[in-house]
Amino acid sequence: MESQGNEPQPSGHGPAEVTSSLRERTIAENSMVILLQGLQGQVTTVDLKNESTARGRVVNVDAFMNIRLKDVLYRDRKAQLTRLQELFITGRNVRYVHIPDHIDIMKTIESQLAKIHRVRNFASQGGGRKEYTKKTK
Amino acid sequence: MVLLRNLPTPTEGVRHEQAETTAVLDGQKLGCGTLYVAETRLSWFDGSGMGFSLDYPTIGLHAISRDVSAYPQEHLYVMVNGKLGDENEAEMAEKAPDDEEDDSISSGGDDDDEEGTITEIRFVPSDKAALDSMFSAMCECQALHPDPEDDDSDNDFEGEEYDVEEAEKHQIHGHADIPTFYTCDEGLSALTQEGQATLERLEGMLAQSVAQQYHMAGVRTEEANAEFEDGMEVDAAALEAGQFEDADVDHW
Repeated sequence: MESQGNEPQPSGHGPAEVTSSLRERTIAENSMVILLQGLQGQVTTVDLKNESTARGRVVNVDAFMNIRLKDVLYRDRKAQLTRLQELFITGRNVRYVHIPDHIDIMKTIESQLAKIHRVRNFASQGGGRKEYTKKTK
Repeated sequence: MVLLRNLPTPTEGVRHEQAETTAVLDGQKLGCGTLYVAETRLSWFDGSGMGFSLDYPTIGLHAISRDVSAYPQEHLYVMVNGKLGDENEAEMAEKAPDDEEDDSISSGGDDDDEEGTITEIRFVPSDKAALDSMFSAMCECQALHPDPEDDDSDNDFEGEEYDVEEAEKHQIHGHADIPTFYTCDEGLSALTQEGQATLERLEGMLAQSVAQQYHMAGVRTEEANAEFEDGMEVDAAALEAGQFEDADVDHW
């Protein structure tokens, strides 16, 4: 079925690795999820629909807005704090994702899109089988 | 979700199986058993075969907790939206006393989410090193169950407002829903896993058909058959042993 996204780069800067799933890439291109995917490596807070929040480092965000965080401080609805090493939040349960103030939103979106387009245009840049080179090149 | 019923253990699509795992449901220990992280559902069974299963859409989040000051054992924490099924609420402690009207888990409805009723489950394996695998397996399975109710119309691929599509439309013949199709220009990396498997199979066939020339003496065509049994019936038939024994090498 759908393949899981690629493992993220350890560095906090630069565009996140693009998933190998065509469906997920297409969804990402057509929604703001692509911004969240660009937050890989950043520390941020996710507000859940059940009134709890989770603050941690973004490991991965997939096209369905499933968010994986690590080194998390989780605050439940009763404001009780818990530390969690790894946390996976189902996309359906996400209400807000806080974008860190220092993030340049447009640049992040653009670099994520560029990443997707590089994957898509892989063959026409000379990689891959010659049979698939675009006629126009 | 059913609790402590005699259910068959899953056999297919089990991404992870963890024995010697204690299940704690809303603070109540259910005993020691085996956790099955399968692609269809998450289930746990104790030694006598009684257990429960969870559907992934009902799972709000899962996590690894290694903070022993919060809970004395390292464990896999799973938060389920909604309360338990009707079967055995009497013994179960209610987590959210203010949300009592909804008695059943609806895996699709948003009602439970709004009311905030949750069930907390902790899976405590005796092998703490297994927590990472358990967690990862759950992540993978969770990703297999995207929210079908996603009202984001952007996932509807009919829109044409998309620049790259305009450029690529010229190379595509007759397909309107551009984003789901790639021309062969897109290259290998645009293929899904199935696509790549298909490509490898086809390439294998090409390689085989070239090699065929050198086996025209009738030595071996059977080996080719095994590769093509999954769908290229026409060509597989053509590769029946002996069929090309009298063919000229030049025909290839």
